[in-house]
Amino acid sequence: MGVAESLGAVVKAFPQARLVAFADLSSRMILTSAGPMVTTQEHLDRLCNQARTCFDDPLFALSVEAFGEPHAAVVMGPSGLRLFLRSEAEPADALCCICDPGIDLPAFVAKIRETLEGITDGG
Amino acid sequence: MLSGGSRVIAQPDDRNPVAQVLRAANETMLARSLEFRSSTGASLTLDVAGRRVLRLTSCIGLPGAESCLGAEVLEDEHKDDLIKLLQAVAAPRQELRVISGPVGRGGEEVSVGLPVALLADLLLVELNETDADEPLPEEAPAEPEVFEEPSFQLSGKGIRDFAEGVGPTLIAWLVRGGDADGSTFGPEEMVSHLQGFLDDETESVVHQLDLLSARPGDPICLMLGATLIEGHSIVCARMQDSLLLGVIEGDGAPAALAAWNALLH
Repeated sequence: MGVAESLGAVVKAFPQARLVAFADLSSRMILTSAGPMVTTQEHLDRLCNQARTCFDDPLFALSVEAFGEPHAAVVMGPSGLRLFLRSEAEPADALCCICDPGIDLPAFVAKIRETLEGITDGG
Repeated sequence: MLSGGSRVIAQPDDRNPVAQVLRAANETMLARSLEFRSSTGASLTLDVAGRRVLRLTSCIGLPGAESCLGAEVLEDEHKDDLIKLLQAVAAPRQELRVISGPVGRGGEEVSVGLPVALLADLLLVELNETDADEPLPEEAPAEPEVFEEPSFQLSGKGIRDFAEGVGPTLIAWLVRGGDADGSTFGPEEMVSHLQGFLDDETESVVHQLDLLSARPGDPICLMLGATLIEGHSIVCARMQDSLLLGVIEGDGAPAALAAWNALLH
């Protein structure tokens, strides 16, 4: 299954996922995405930058010092949530997701973890 | 497979790949270089800004590019040649990718070049996505959703209510600022560590939260952990002038999400 198909399968399994995007954090670029949300290149750039910000100091350093390197981040704003997951094997590979607040978070995290590992292993 | 930092904009089953090229150019308000690469091996690179195509900077594997490549700025006389190149690079039944990069030169000047809307009119392309462009869906597609954060309304609850709402998985926390300033909970050594961190880093933490917010100062909550569904996670939440920093143990993310939603609705 290709990357686009993998992301499409996530959106199909979790209708509350409005956008699931695969990013290369090192080049600050969303490579492909799926979901009903309408986005522009600037939106995707911003989402990718937010992923980098999550895994950056000072809170990244606090987490590393306390519990080890974080690979998952959830950002909750005034509406919806953004979820960022980094690959443990290839830390530049990440999934960036925008979801409705009612999403089954543990099930969704497990699904996108499996999806990201599949993409990284297949890349 | 995805080397080169490219984004797929058209699959082989895309009915109208040239529309995807124009949409990618039309998305771009800031000056950018967009390189379109077909799986045929052909490519072309455009400088775009302000929904205009400023110039063609590179063309590989496509004939008839000389007049456009020689132009410092694309003008009306180049539009027919450019359209042929766009159609050629967006060949049907091929995968098409775009690579975005910094513009070569003069990108800040947006009153020149060819408007993407003009090219779209000439090519009979609707710049907004239409069903006719997509592969046949299995079900009727839902209305597209917009990216921007909508306006919000506070419930009247405070950051301390958030901490209490998360429940026992929030094993240590403290609050800086606002009505709950100085509130703490949890083992002394954990709270002390969080206090020491905020003593040094409050300004940087606020900046980090601002980078994640639609507007500086907006309510925002960041959870950071190895998996979020087991082990420990850091939680940092801002509500008005209060900042909470805490430690969540185990699967506390759903409780944090529910508590956060309760603050805003």
